[in-house]
Amino acid sequence: MSMQVTSSRSPRGSLVTGDIFRQALIDACRKLLPQYQWRNPVMFVVYLGSILTTTLWLQALGGHGEASARFILAITLWLWFTVLFANFAEAIAEGRSKAQAAALRSVKRDVVAKKLERPKYGPPAIPVSSAQLRKGDFFMVEARDMIPADGEVVEGVASVNESAITGESAPVIREAGGDFSSVTGGTQVLSDWLVVRVTSDPGHAFLDRMIAMVEGARRQKTPNEIALLILLVGFTLIFLKTTATLLPFSIYSVEVAKAGSPITITVLVALLVCLITTTIGGLLSAIGLAGIGRMLRANVIATSGRAVEAAGDVDTLLLDKTGTITLGNRQATGFLPKRGVTERELADAAQLASLADETPEGRSIVVLAKQKFGLRERNVNELGATFVHFSAKTRMSGVDLDGRQIRKGAADAIRTWVDAKGGGYAADVGTLVSDVARRGSTPLVVASDSEILGVIELKDIVKGGIKERFAELRRMGIKTVMITGDNKLTAAAIAAEAGVDDFLAEATPEAKLMLIREHQTQGRLVAMTGDGTNDAPALAQADVAVAMNTGTQAAKEAGNMVDLDSNPTKLIEIVEIGKQLLITRGALTTFSISNVSKYFAIIPAAFATTYPELNALNIMHLATPESAIFSAVIFNALIIIALIPLALKGVRYRAVGAARLLRDNLLIYGMGGVIAPFIGIKLIDMILVHLGLA
Amino acid sequence: MWELQLGEIVFGGVGSGLYGMLAFALIAVFVAGLMIGRTPEYLGKKIQAFEIKMAAIVILVPPLLVLVGTAIAVMTAAGQAGVANPGAHGFSEILYAFSSAAANNGSAFAGLSADTPFYNTALGLVILFGRYWLMVPVLAIAGSLAAKKKIPVGAGTLPTHTPLFVVLLIGTVAIVGALAFFPVLALGPIAEYLAMIPGH
Repeated sequence: MSMQVTSSRSPRGSLVTGDIFRQALIDACRKLLPQYQWRNPVMFVVYLGSILTTTLWLQALGGHGEASARFILAITLWLWFTVLFANFAEAIAEGRSKAQAAALRSVKRDVVAKKLERPKYGPPAIPVSSAQLRKGDFFMVEARDMIPADGEVVEGVASVNESAITGESAPVIREAGGDFSSVTGGTQVLSDWLVVRVTSDPGHAFLDRMIAMVEGARRQKTPNEIALLILLVGFTLIFLKTTATLLPFSIYSVEVAKAGSPITITVLVALLVCLITTTIGGLLSAIGLAGIGRMLRANVIATSGRAVEAAGDVDTLLLDKTGTITLGNRQATGFLPKRGVTERELADAAQLASLADETPEGRSIVVLAKQKFGLRERNVNELGATFVHFSAKTRMSGVDLDGRQIRKGAADAIRTWVDAKGGGYAADVGTLVSDVARRGSTPLVVASDSEILGVIELKDIVKGGIKERFAELRRMGIKTVMITGDNKLTAAAIAAEAGVDDFLAEATPEAKLMLIREHQTQGRLVAMTGDGTNDAPALAQADVAVAMNTGTQAAKEAGNMVDLDSNPTKLIEIVEIGKQLLITRGALTTFSISNVSKYFAIIPAAFATTYPELNALNIMHLATPESAIFSAVIFNALIIIALIPLALKGVRYRAVGAARLLRDNLLIYGMGGVIAPFIGIKLIDMILVHLGLA
Repeated sequence: MWELQLGEIVFGGVGSGLYGMLAFALIAVFVAGLMIGRTPEYLGKKIQAFEIKMAAIVILVPPLLVLVGTAIAVMTAAGQAGVANPGAHGFSEILYAFSSAAANNGSAFAGLSADTPFYNTALGLVILFGRYWLMVPVLAIAGSLAAKKKIPVGAGTLPTHTPLFVVLLIGTVAIVGALAFFPVLALGPIAEYLAMIPGH
């Protein structure tokens, strides 16, 4: 099975399937139970209001109503719709997460594990259920076996299909020692065998945690969400007393003006529901769920909503050079011959030495020789050449051909080699080597027998478009720091080329940790990615720590997010998703608060019988007092439905700097919140008149 | 008349002082901060649930005192006894007395005989709660913010000293502070004002 997370990653992908839609309709009704409603104070007020008007309707049916039963019923129905629509928004957001959780759960099944007494491959293996494996136990898995539990490989090398977790179909290699030693329960061994030590008890495995995170239905509210909710409750209380005190005022006004009749409870409830911020109140939890959902679609599992929120706040990004800023492999970019040697001669020798070199660096030398001098790849066997492969001891590779020995390798290694053959190391070679190093590249010296021919420049290739990404981050107000094991000279050159703000050269795990602490004491929030066990301390210290799925168990446990694609560049996307979540909340709050049109609909309608002058406030020229109140209530309910797609998709984030972003969003959602309801309410009123309902 | 009343009420809602305005600034910053995708901060300090709670109390209490006070006045015989003018104007007078007590100088219109035991007690209580007790949550915010780490300003930080922010702050005050009073104003000063325009 494969989790459908990769296929749905395109932002334009359909937001909901038919199944989720149907389930959400059912859930919306189920959520009418008070224990669900209580969790959202704003909607709880609407809920109570709906119950109150329902009672008033029953009273009106009995003939003692304060207004016609038909009027009260219509208001009541629309109030219930408002509650249902808000439930529906939450149910849809939950439904999408639940579908993903269900897919994950189907991966989790009980398998028979081959438990071992000692961490040694081979029989005897005791067959036990995977549920009986405990932390510290050992088991072995062979080709086509399902891995029964999370663990650390202690012996063996095997290819493993992890598509169930990552959605990535290419198998990965897992081996004892190093950074690729962790295996996940529910994945399958394709070839060879492994001996694994169990690292988590049943129910606490990676998959279990993922399912728990994805389901998130009973997830905790995040700090920012709580603060916003308190603000909304504050608004609700203000408007509650505004409407509650209107009743005595209205009664008094009717008495002194000797005209009209006091405002009815039904109209007061309608006014209250329109005044309190039901739009954001109804969509608040959907927005939070959708944020985690967007992370999921980017193939990132966040351990908490808090982590997603913190991602929006990050102001320093620590990025590993290799794989994030530069392509993983260095490439040959130039042949620099020694004086007296032509570039072509050097290229020819370099190509011969690299023909059998299957490393990406070796391939790039052959490619460059072809590009520059049209040197065709020669057939290795026809030449009758013997290849000398690279070894960590000699630190060089090359070819023996017709009694001629050609070698390429690190400068000092070649120098020793040439010296041994009685050759000399010309001064200009030394200059060439240090020039290349200063440019941030790696020099590779080529020698033929005792003579040095020149230097090949191997360059770290900075990823295309990464400079623009960093410029964008700078506009967002985020500082980028490149982390590399290279020396300062090389690091500085690459940092300048990639356009990062700062770099940490010759980085050790301790230096990384120090750097994070230093930034944090300045009050900054730091995000980083990591995969190795030596990254774990830094990951634990960082505010947003993204562990690569290919990484070690220790790294995954230290981080608060796991990137299933193991793509370090994704950190940038994660920050954007975090910001998007906050912006969506802010935009809908602004839209909700700035809706003032309801005053102009309901106030004149409610009090014009007492003071006919107040009809001047009916600037929308709504047909009748009844249609005015209807229009406001209906608009208030429909706007929740209309904004569900925005809540789920999120407001688009653009890196244009805080002031401009605020201005733009204020214009769209602030002014939009003022204007749109006027138009909407007027339209609904016109439709009501047209249908003869007003 | 309308402008006078509305102006009085707006500043009544604000609490007629720096501390009231600070509460509104906190709320404006909170919403604006969200809109630019950062958890909100003001003057380098993070705004969290506690500050919002206190700010909400600060903006909640004055309208509560004014509205509930006025409501009691119009519902009781003692309150109604003091009103000399009929109609909407009489209502405005009671409203003004309470607004003024909660926020301003405690004055009352001549048409309302405020020197009765009822009004003296009621307005006195409003002054006590509206003016002095509000300092408690404001000081709580100050204490909480002072204890927090200061966050350095960067390009992603919301600037709170620009004309744009002023507009935003005025918007927040107008919508939250004034519109809470709009319905009740409609019954008093607005109705009066509209009645005075020729043609009505």
